[in-house]
Amino acid sequence: MSASDEKNVSDDTQLASHFFGELLDSVIMDVASECHRIARLGLDRNLDDEEEELRLSAEARARVADPSNSEANSKYVVDIFGQTHPAVAAEIFDCMNCGRSIVAGRFAPHLEKCMGKGRKARVKSTRSSTAAAAQNR
Amino acid sequence: MRASIKRPPTPDAEEEEEDQHREASLEEIINIKLIESGEKERLKELLRERLNECGWKDDMKSFTRKKGRNNVTVDDLVHLITPKGRAAVPDSVKAELLQRIRSFLHSTPL
Repeated sequence: MSASDEKNVSDDTQLASHFFGELLDSVIMDVASECHRIARLGLDRNLDDEEEELRLSAEARARVADPSNSEANSKYVVDIFGQTHPAVAAEIFDCMNCGRSIVAGRFAPHLEKCMGKGRKARVKSTRSSTAAAAQNR
Repeated sequence: MRASIKRPPTPDAEEEEEDQHREASLEEIINIKLIESGEKERLKELLRERLNECGWKDDMKSFTRKKGRNNVTVDDLVHLITPKGRAAVPDSVKAELLQRIRSFLHSTPL
């Protein structure tokens, strides 16, 4: 590149930077004006509360995602409402199949046995199902 | 009550003549071309859009909120945002705008 070419390029860049600076200042002015309006009209109160909420939920998420928390003391993890839950659900209710009192945390395995394979509690065969089974043999 | 508005003194005949002979600088000429062709407005919109997309505007807004809201003036905020704002523009945005400006400079006969 000749010396004059180099000068032209740097002039160009300088001019472009000058205009970019002007545009940027203009945009900054607009943003400042908007923020000023929000501040003076007190429109940012709601935004502040929302921000606080976002921050707290982000913190809670970080705590949950943090591996040092989960395995060791999972029984004492606090959820977003501030409640702790035991590892095994403790509520007791009646099974709708056999009518016994079951602990909620043990309901699924109970239901398996109650409705399915074990303790000779099979589904009572109806006429149509036995007839169909007989036919297929 | 405000004091009465003071007008700048009317220029003398001598100064007027000088003004007419003064050449517009290159910057002024280009500025006029930018405005007249509408390119300046388009560039400004482009810059605004890019800065919005990348979250620059949100950063500036939250920055002003942190500084409190008691009796701030627009001037205060401008002085507050300008140094941070200038530094926080992403390089890609700056490059894109500079490129557009440069191609405008090359496309207009001077």
